[in-house]
Amino acid sequence: MFDQILQFVLTGVTVGATYALVALGFAIIYNASDVVNFSQGEFVMLGAMGSIAFSAGNGLPLWLAAICAVLLVICVGMALQRFAIAPARGASVVTTIIITIGASIFLRGVALLLWGKDIFGMPHFSGEEPIKIGEATLLPQNLWVMGGASVLVLGVHYFFNHTTNGKAVLACSCNRTAAQLVGINVSRMMLIAYGLSALLGSLAGILVAPITFTSYDAGVMLGLKGFSAAILGGFGNPMGAVAGGLLLGLIESLAAGLISSGYKDAIGFVILLLVLFFKPSGLFGKASAERV
Amino acid sequence: MSYLRGFYLLTITAAVLPLIFPDNYYVTVVGVTAALHAILAVSLNLLMGYAGQISLGHAGFFGIGAYASAILTTRYGWNPWPAILAGLGLTAVVAFTLARPILRLKGHYLAMATLGLGIIINIVLVQAGKFTGGPDGLGGIPSLSLFGWSVDSDLRWYIVIVSVLLVVVWLALNIINSRSGRALRALHGSEVAAEMMGINTTATKTGVFVLAALIASLAGSLFAYQQAFVSPDSFSFFFSIELVTMVVLGGMASTYGAIIGAIILTFLPELLVVFEDYEVMIFGAILMLMMIFLPQGLFVGLQHLLRRLTRDRRTAIDAAEAGESGRGAA
Amino acid sequence: MALLKVSGLSKSFGGVTAIADLDFEVPEGHVYSVIGPNGAGKTTLFNMLSGIYTPDEGSIRFLGRDIVGRLPHKVAELGVSRTFQNLQMFFNMSVLDNVKVGCHLRTKSRLWNSALRLSSTRREEQQAELWAREALHFCGLDDYLQLDADALPYGVLKRLEIARALAAAPKLLLMDEPAAGLNDTETKAMRKLIRRISDTGITVLLVEHNMGLVMDVSDRILVIDYGSRLAEGSPREIQHNPKVIDAYLGGEVEYAV
Repeated sequence: MFDQILQFVLTGVTVGATYALVALGFAIIYNASDVVNFSQGEFVMLGAMGSIAFSAGNGLPLWLAAICAVLLVICVGMALQRFAIAPARGASVVTTIIITIGASIFLRGVALLLWGKDIFGMPHFSGEEPIKIGEATLLPQNLWVMGGASVLVLGVHYFFNHTTNGKAVLACSCNRTAAQLVGINVSRMMLIAYGLSALLGSLAGILVAPITFTSYDAGVMLGLKGFSAAILGGFGNPMGAVAGGLLLGLIESLAAGLISSGYKDAIGFVILLLVLFFKPSGLFGKASAERV
Repeated sequence: MSYLRGFYLLTITAAVLPLIFPDNYYVTVVGVTAALHAILAVSLNLLMGYAGQISLGHAGFFGIGAYASAILTTRYGWNPWPAILAGLGLTAVVAFTLARPILRLKGHYLAMATLGLGIIINIVLVQAGKFTGGPDGLGGIPSLSLFGWSVDSDLRWYIVIVSVLLVVVWLALNIINSRSGRALRALHGSEVAAEMMGINTTATKTGVFVLAALIASLAGSLFAYQQAFVSPDSFSFFFSIELVTMVVLGGMASTYGAIIGAIILTFLPELLVVFEDYEVMIFGAILMLMMIFLPQGLFVGLQHLLRRLTRDRRTAIDAAEAGESGRGAA
Repeated sequence: MALLKVSGLSKSFGGVTAIADLDFEVPEGHVYSVIGPNGAGKTTLFNMLSGIYTPDEGSIRFLGRDIVGRLPHKVAELGVSRTFQNLQMFFNMSVLDNVKVGCHLRTKSRLWNSALRLSSTRREEQQAELWAREALHFCGLDDYLQLDADALPYGVLKRLEIARALAAAPKLLLMDEPAAGLNDTETKAMRKLIRRISDTGITVLLVEHNMGLVMDVSDRILVIDYGSRLAEGSPREIQHNPKVIDAYLGGEVEYAV
């Protein structure tokens, strides 16, 4: 029983690490521009699909293919900001939601056109020899996901707390006008935020693709999960989003193992609803007061 | 009343179309789907456009209605009519129970909660295979019949569903232009001011949420009988998004806008079929472009444009006079 | 008789005291003003009186009934209406509809009656329209009836908020800085409007920074500072109260009445 639970936890943390990266991407864009980016999941899909296409199709080594794919997705993210989000500045919440949903459908359409409906696999980075921990097993790729996610999260943390650009992005999210007044180039910071978010998404996709496989519509559920994780952790709080992602992954994995695999997604969302009902600001968010 | 003028025009158009094109695929087949979507969009618009409460889970209530009717008629041999009522009853219970906690939330939190609710309902439809037939769906649903008049042809379904649409539109227009409708718009405009004018905002939100859910449930039942088959795909997260898009595309807080949005979004895929592989991509691009360049929606955006063109001179004069009288009073 | 009686009222936000042990009474038919420097707790006081905030301590009695803990719409039912310092207009509605919302408590038709357009609903609609037009006329807004609220200039919106509150036929009207942001002519018109509202028998509780206006229209004035009472009295008494002059008005003061 203990080994079984350990297995669920290990799986949960791996999945959770992916959710955490997607959620972090959500939080960064939301913080910077008040937009919930529903095409975040497509960044993940494009990262994985792009790497596979570059390596299998163009014969590049996997690491080089991955770098190309990440750069490509960063461009996609920045283009999204420049050509779809920026022109609609000041639009209502619903309008921006539909713009990003339109973007996600568009990106899915492009992927469908390029690669069809097939499911693609990616070679594991360092073999498929399982590592035994008691009775539970772990693939080296799981370690890649956890390690990669940790490095990225720490990197993001460093970026926002110790670099000028990172602080400037934060300043824009606190008060756009004030940021502009002190000479911050707001539109450049927006590009950075979207680029960073795309970077996180695409790397998440590349890290996890060897385990989960990928297809043109693989980003949909991941995007939704990332959004839930971000809300669960307290929206707009990047480290809360990471915690929310890990938690959601764990809950789902345990629910799938102990209750029912068919209902695992439902259980994740039920817990999300309960959190929203009883602590709407999320588990790690600060309550906001409305001023009259 | 003047606000019903558009309604009469809609009624006449709906009545004349099948007379001119009695066997046209786009009228009696796609048209019926468009009308069904319009019912859903009009109901969602009450909640979203007027009361300002976004819902990304409206397809869930559509699904509850559809599956209640499908299951009760096929597995338990119920007559279709009481099955519709049972679906409405179940929807009312679910919507009423969840309305309070859900509608306390705002903005993106509300979006996430309704989205989650829709997905949960969809997962239950897929997983509870013993009743729902699982992902394969449920077939052999009987058709409706009314005093021996069996609804068994495309044209008859057109008559039934378009009639229901007209009734729903009439109810919606009446509500919007009444005390209750003003309360809805008021809580959208400023919740605290609405409360201060004596509006019980919690009860108002609950009321409109339940009403919108009931209309969606009714549409779901009709859909089940019309298709004679239901599967979870028709009630997915994507369909909820499509409904929201219909409302926004036509123009929030405009019943006719919602209808136009429903018609466009129903016909668009039909037209895009010629692009084959490019269909999904073009659909996404159109969504983005419309929202970027016409954020108020097609109907409302064009309406404003027309009004500005025709009234430009008049408002200028009005403003001048207003300024004049303001100074006079002082 | 006191229409409104506040005793021992206190409220703090996260350790910061906004209102501390405040007592006052508003006699029926008076224009009663609350003045004090920015951040003295005036808007917090209004938010408690209208049910938006719940006080930490103390009682608020309106018409002899304790209204602490009542939701805003329940307070409104008793005959309290208000305007807001930062406009809270329904910008998604026309001017007329904004004021018709004010008639909410004077009409009764429910969702289903409205949906079916029963004759009772139609009669009520006509009545509401009449009341709304009356209130708009009273505030001098006849010219703006059919316009959308978001098309109006600021000064007009200030009056529109008052029209909306008056459409509720309140016994007590809370006005939060009605003259803020108005120019001289508009302020004069506002002064007249407040007097005319008072003449109809409505009790007015006023928060305002424009001293000329306050001294002119008020029957009594309450001065608060740091959430507690500094002085209370007639405009004359307040003008000559050394504590007020010293602490709040800062020495020499000139009133342009």
